Amino acid sequence: MTDLFANLWLGFSVAAHPYNIGFCLLGALVGTLVGVLPGIGTVATVAMLLPITFGLPPVGALIMLAGIYYGAQYGGSTTSVLVNIPGEATSVVTCLDGHQMARKGRAGAALSIAAIGSFLAGCVATVLVAALGVPLTSIALLFGPAEYFSLMVLGLIFAVVLAKGSVPKAIAMILLGLLLSMIGSDLETGAGRMTFDIPELSDGIGFANVAMGVFGFAEIIRNLEMSQESRDIVQSKITGLMPTRQDLIDSAGPIARGTILGSLLGILPGGGAVVASFAAYTFEKRISKHPELFGTGVIEGVAAPESANNAAAQTSFIPLLTLGIPPNAVMALMVGAMTIHGIVPGPQVMTKQPELFWGMIASMWLGNLMLVIINLPLVGLWVTLLRVPYRLLFPSIIVFCCIGIYSINNSPTDVIIAATFGLVGYWLAKHDFEPAPLVLAFVLGPLMEENLRRAMLIARGDATVFVTRPISAGLMLISLTLLVIAMLPMIRKRRDEVFVE
Amino acid sequence: MAEGNKAARDGGGLRFKVRGPRDFYGGLALIAVGIIAIWATGDLGGSRGFAFGPGTAPRMFAILLAFMGALIAIGGLLADGPPIEKFAIKGPAYVVAAILLFACLIRGVSLEYIGVPVNIPGFGLVVSTFVAFMVSIMGSSEMRWTESLLAGIGMTVFCVLLFVYLLALPFQLWPSFL
Repeated sequence: MTDLFANLWLGFSVAAHPYNIGFCLLGALVGTLVGVLPGIGTVATVAMLLPITFGLPPVGALIMLAGIYYGAQYGGSTTSVLVNIPGEATSVVTCLDGHQMARKGRAGAALSIAAIGSFLAGCVATVLVAALGVPLTSIALLFGPAEYFSLMVLGLIFAVVLAKGSVPKAIAMILLGLLLSMIGSDLETGAGRMTFDIPELSDGIGFANVAMGVFGFAEIIRNLEMSQESRDIVQSKITGLMPTRQDLIDSAGPIARGTILGSLLGILPGGGAVVASFAAYTFEKRISKHPELFGTGVIEGVAAPESANNAAAQTSFIPLLTLGIPPNAVMALMVGAMTIHGIVPGPQVMTKQPELFWGMIASMWLGNLMLVIINLPLVGLWVTLLRVPYRLLFPSIIVFCCIGIYSINNSPTDVIIAATFGLVGYWLAKHDFEPAPLVLAFVLGPLMEENLRRAMLIARGDATVFVTRPISAGLMLISLTLLVIAMLPMIRKRRDEVFVE
Repeated sequence: MAEGNKAARDGGGLRFKVRGPRDFYGGLALIAVGIIAIWATGDLGGSRGFAFGPGTAPRMFAILLAFMGALIAIGGLLADGPPIEKFAIKGPAYVVAAILLFACLIRGVSLEYIGVPVNIPGFGLVVSTFVAFMVSIMGSSEMRWTESLLAGIGMTVFCVLLFVYLLALPFQLWPSFL
């Protein structure tokens, strides 16, 4: 326990350095700014802003990226409340009650409860990350290649279970992602795989290009199809920023429950933040005394999902920082950023660079605090930004993305690859394929293959190694159970209901 | 993007009807990707002894992908599903054209395509940003010229200030031949 405080103290002394506070503030501000723009989700925001952090020292860069991440998430909820366009999947549920509140003239209360809920959830989650960091790191040392492989299988199965739509389609997306990740030189032999003799492909496809294409460009193309006139921006002046006493009393319970649900679901690999917000909303509705009012603008319907998705966003750092496995697409971008700064994510980060590890954790808390401070006074600014018509917004986003992608490697080919994936993403959306599992599999692909090959080599070609080693067998068993449960017709029906809401 | 036409043709010509076209053609496309991947990894070595070769894992996943594709396609034949939405042409075409133009103009391209040499000099950040902005904005059905030109100039200035002066990223600003 004293260790925990000593570590957190170290973290805060790093994070409170004026430079780092500045980076954190800047990140949160820019993240919110971009996240507010409708149609740009967290992944696209982080990918777009990644180049901004290249010139910074490693600790500052990661602190700023974390700030961008929370900012983007918070910005997404602002858009949900004010325009009824979810910036991304995690704030879909916030639309339901948040926008109704805004139409009743209570946008201020909705936004401030979202900020307060997020902040409180962030506080709890930060402590959780700090507390679980050490024990999980020691578990990580027990992991061999077989265990790592099984853990990643579990993560992908989670992504399948949590994706909306049919299970076979989600599995197919996982396989497609794995396959795409194998394009390029083979790690062990250096042989070019599926490069079709194109020299630019021999290094493989960059993750940021795939993410930008599938999440950024494809979204824009899809948005262009819809008429933009239907955007329903709250025009009235936002007054009464502060929630009333009754609001605070009503949302205390949902915030607490949302935080717990979110923290638990966030640790699981496979995109917990989305499901956390859905689960928290559904749960609140179920236990509420007046479930029929949900969807008409009740404060619980904003407080619960917002707390849950923020808690989950934070605890999703746990698998990355302790095991070195990115549990979702944003964390995968973090891996990219860390690699650029010469840091290999994994259990050794905590022992070799404690100031980085704990500094980042402390900055999460600071970042959340800043979101509360900067967002409440700046709501007016975000509203102005939302009034910018989409016909001017989308070309700006495209140009910004192009420059962002190009600047990562100074490579025009990367830009072309992203454009290709934009079309692929458009096609996938037309055929009801979810891009999220594809992107996660793409990220985990190289790690999975490496561990699979190593495990097989150590076991002398015996594939039963995955079920004879106890930890690995346990993980595989959980994966199998989850998959079977997801396929059961009864559960599937319930799952669809959750997503329909 | 011929899916829509194909669906119409199959519906009339064949005895059985494709009940879930989204799943059916989606599945077929996945099978095609799987087969292409199996073909493309054909020249890579497979397992030798205990060790995986470079081709083992990709082939494994490609076969699984083709299998899942078949499963989805069969599902599309048997179960009812929504029709395929129409693919828009204009929006995607302008967006993709804008991105490609940016990629070609920013540093220039010089390659040989089927014996024809293609040489585009590097136009630099200012020109490529502005061109990409103007081309992509034409993808919108609500385009207005004056407003767009002003916004394009504004965005170009903003990007130059941000990326070149504030972030000090190494960009070539102006065309290399000037």
